[in-house]
Amino acid sequence: MKLGTFLARKEWSPYVAGAGLGLTTTVSMAVFHKRLSGAGAYQHLSGYAGRLIAPDSLYWKHVVPTGMTWEVYLLVGTFLGALASALLSKQFAIRTMPETQWSDVFGPSVVRRWLLVFVGTMVLELAAGVAGGCTASLAVSGGAAAAPGAFLFMIGMFGGGIPMARFLYRGGRR
Amino acid sequence: MNGMGVLAPLLVGFAFGWVLQKGKLGRYETIVNVFRFTDLTVVKFLVSALMVGMLGIQALVSLGLAEDIPIPSSHLVGNLLGGLVFGAGMALAGFCPGTVAAGAGEGRLDNAIAGSLGLYTGAVVFGVAYPRLYPLVATVANLGSVTLARALQVDAWLVVILFWEIGLLLVYAIERGPFAAARGRAS
Repeated sequence: MKLGTFLARKEWSPYVAGAGLGLTTTVSMAVFHKRLSGAGAYQHLSGYAGRLIAPDSLYWKHVVPTGMTWEVYLLVGTFLGALASALLSKQFAIRTMPETQWSDVFGPSVVRRWLLVFVGTMVLELAAGVAGGCTASLAVSGGAAAAPGAFLFMIGMFGGGIPMARFLYRGGRR
Repeated sequence: MNGMGVLAPLLVGFAFGWVLQKGKLGRYETIVNVFRFTDLTVVKFLVSALMVGMLGIQALVSLGLAEDIPIPSSHLVGNLLGGLVFGAGMALAGFCPGTVAAGAGEGRLDNAIAGSLGLYTGAVVFGVAYPRLYPLVATVANLGSVTLARALQVDAWLVVILFWEIGLLLVYAIERGPFAAARGRAS
């Protein structure tokens, strides 16, 4: 199999893609001494608005830096990597909603989708702050470093996600 | 950050976004369906990533090629409570912070606009609430930056081997055994 064909595939087996993530994590942690990150970039950008609202909060004074940090560039890279992969496999398309399933449950309204995404992602970022990381920085990076908190976080993730999905899909897919 | 300093996170991020897109992790359906047991892509992806990452990091540490692994702190109440709420958010919106960017790379504007704004707002709210919120969860049962091996006082390789055994059993259960009915649609 030629490398070009492999890279241009629409999807990889989740085991292969996961192994790729494991290698990426290894390089990030062992070579650059940095955890992978998703939520971190937003924390490091939050000071620009946050310091206007709460100038005295010790969060932006002592806990997180404000600026274009490693995590912010990592986020830019994440976007670019997904963009390149999607373009190469001809999967890039401007969309405002998931193609399937969402509208079966929540209806076809784009406004509703965007509002619920806003609420859901706000909750995600708050929860990542409380947990001390997100899927990337705690579950994957912490798990690969065999930190006990990472496994507890994953137990919590499924413990919170399963009842929520059950609740949202309680009427089945219409 | 200088030129070289910027290149490294961009490249690591590029690889991260690439595998997320290839694994279909940027899609609403992939994330929410793992919680409904109708698509186990997330579990397969995570198990594989953790097996390879754990082996890779421990091998480099044992060979003396890597020091200062950035181990996240284990503050057990915060990790668990945060995880519970985090999972609920994942099931509602259908992504986690990293996959918001990956989905945006596929051209998804609900991720790129509503998702980024929501994450940013959440970060600001957390910063404002930090002085009240954090001591409640971070100071209780805080073990610091430990590994399982250090906490249990066992050899680090024992943890790696045990995790590989659990991981292989899980893969077997998914592909051949009791969980086979819920196999991912991709496979």
